[in-house]
Amino acid sequence: MKIAILTNCVPFVRGGAEHLAESLRDKLNEYGHEAMITRIPLAWHPPERIVEHILAARLLRLHNVDRMIGLKFPAFYVRHDNKIHWLLHQFRQVYDLWGTKYQDIPDTPEGRRIREVVVNADNQYLPEARRIYTISRNSAERLKKFNNLDAEVLYHPLGKSDHFRCDSYGDYLFCPSRVTDGKRQALLTESMKYVRSGVRLVLAGQPETPADRERVEAIMRENRLEKRVQWIPRFISEDEKVGLFAGALGCAYIPYDEDTYGYVTLESYHSRKPVITCRDSGDTLVLVRDGQTGLVAEPTPAAIAGAMDNLYECRGQAERMGQAGYDLMMTLGINWETVVKRLTA
Amino acid sequence: MRVIVASTIAPFIEGGSTFIVDWLEQTLREFGHDVDVLKIPFYSYYPEMPAQMLALRLMDVAAHGDRLIAIRTPAYLLRHPNKVLWFIHHHRGAYDLWGTPYQDLPDAPVGRAYRRAIVSADHLAFSEARHIYTNSAVVSKRLKDFNDVDSEVLYPPVLKPQRFHARSYGDYILYVSRIVHHKRQSLAVEAMRYTRTPVKLVVAGKADDPGLESQLRQTVQQHGLQDKVTLDFRWISEEQKVEYLADCLAAIYIPFDEDSYGYPSLEAHHARKAVISATDSGGTSELIRDGNNGFLADPDPRAIAECMDRLYLDPKLARDMGENGLERIRELGITWERVMEKLLA
Repeated sequence: MKIAILTNCVPFVRGGAEHLAESLRDKLNEYGHEAMITRIPLAWHPPERIVEHILAARLLRLHNVDRMIGLKFPAFYVRHDNKIHWLLHQFRQVYDLWGTKYQDIPDTPEGRRIREVVVNADNQYLPEARRIYTISRNSAERLKKFNNLDAEVLYHPLGKSDHFRCDSYGDYLFCPSRVTDGKRQALLTESMKYVRSGVRLVLAGQPETPADRERVEAIMRENRLEKRVQWIPRFISEDEKVGLFAGALGCAYIPYDEDTYGYVTLESYHSRKPVITCRDSGDTLVLVRDGQTGLVAEPTPAAIAGAMDNLYECRGQAERMGQAGYDLMMTLGINWETVVKRLTA
Repeated sequence: MRVIVASTIAPFIEGGSTFIVDWLEQTLREFGHDVDVLKIPFYSYYPEMPAQMLALRLMDVAAHGDRLIAIRTPAYLLRHPNKVLWFIHHHRGAYDLWGTPYQDLPDAPVGRAYRRAIVSADHLAFSEARHIYTNSAVVSKRLKDFNDVDSEVLYPPVLKPQRFHARSYGDYILYVSRIVHHKRQSLAVEAMRYTRTPVKLVVAGKADDPGLESQLRQTVQQHGLQDKVTLDFRWISEEQKVEYLADCLAAIYIPFDEDSYGYPSLEAHHARKAVISATDSGGTSELIRDGNNGFLADPDPRAIAECMDRLYLDPKLARDMGENGLERIRELGITWERVMEKLLA
């Protein structure tokens, strides 16, 4: 089948969506389809541009394409009579972000009109698809709440997974992620004050700002945690990451209220390592089930430390939970075979 | 420099207009530039064109990149303060093919209205460009004749020309190209009926239409040319092409009335091989000077056969003409260095 994957683009900006689109294209090709990515520009300053780009998407014509897969606003509006969405998210500024500091559209009569245009476009054009899948529960819930549209969650797998491995269950918990407020590396570091066992923490990732870096380093300094916390404040290569997962006791990943379970969680389970997360971490809880595939702690340093000690003191448990995490991932259909089958059905 | 390369594509169809984009992208990166490529689907069926032209006009990428290079019509409708065109052809049905059997707009008031829309949109975009380059003198002349626009010829090189080399001057003439009616592989095969030397012909490439393949096979059968003609009907990889060119005696490229010299001619010259073309092939005459770096033969099987025999009987001539081919490329300045210098000036 000739498949066009439609996503938006801000020139020169790359992120998770681009990565997802490329993984999807490569997998579709692997499964014998011919897939290409079509990127439709999006600009939102001044806000009237939003409306113009909706119109642009509607005016385009996809010829010689058997199936269109829509990922993002406003590219998913492109007309096609055999369309399936795998929605990353809608234009959140007019939905859950409206009324927050991320709204980005002025709360004026003009701004509200633009909001209305986007909501109407979603209401009218999204149902043109044969089916709507979303990559997260939150996205599906928002569609229901704001547009009264039904969607099914179709979880996103890792782009590449067969290089992850498990060598041993060592003495450290591994947390690879961008270092930023929302990922709460500071809280993790702070927890290390309270551990009673010999468990260590390995924190790796590029700090988003100097302040993010300083926050973690200050906690380490003040509490003399240098021996307990290995701090790698930079991008790590794929090989380094795989190696650190392979020797870890488990993974600690405690972001605040995330939309998706995150690639970190998947990588950990592909390495057969359990995950410690927090009750308020959002969709990590889809995969991390307390006592089964990892440990779910209250978001306090003492509680997190308790979970870490718990895992350290009972290694057999770590191994069992890591395997259970992998099995759960497969049961939930978090693999490309499922994704390709659904999106080409 | 941050460069946006914008072009339109017919989804899932590859050819000269997609190669030029992909090769330009790769070369810009090699030269250390930051590149983002926009390939916007465009369906060149006239009733659908104005809406898609408007879509291109509405997309706003003006705030991104230091330069926008627009390739295939009508990608240049994108607005950008630093827009340069590398113009490869008009929508020819509205221009030079208007009034011929290839005119793809009805010769009625409605067709004329669509034609006017195309021409006036082109005019607008041409007036916005910092500079307009074309791929051939033929196209530059059309811009002058139809749009009264001045342009500069900037011949498109092939990717990594240093890959091509001469190992020997063997006994076969090579026709490597997509097998399409207007490339006239049939004429090359016909010519083999009239050769008087043991010279051979290899036709390599994939046909869009399988009917053409069987037609060529039939011609070979019918005239008992099995020992003289090899038909290699498959998609030829870059490596295979390099190999074929390394050992051929010379190349043949005899399309009917093409705009540009065609990548096959250029690749042959990079491999120091002469090119046999035809007097009615169009743009090849910008590259090939009859008797110097190849032949411009009458589009007649006997005339073409004579050129083949001459090269077979005089290997020194074949070699000298091949060397002249490489020299001719230098003379015309067909290099990526020059392309970079011009497009980014």
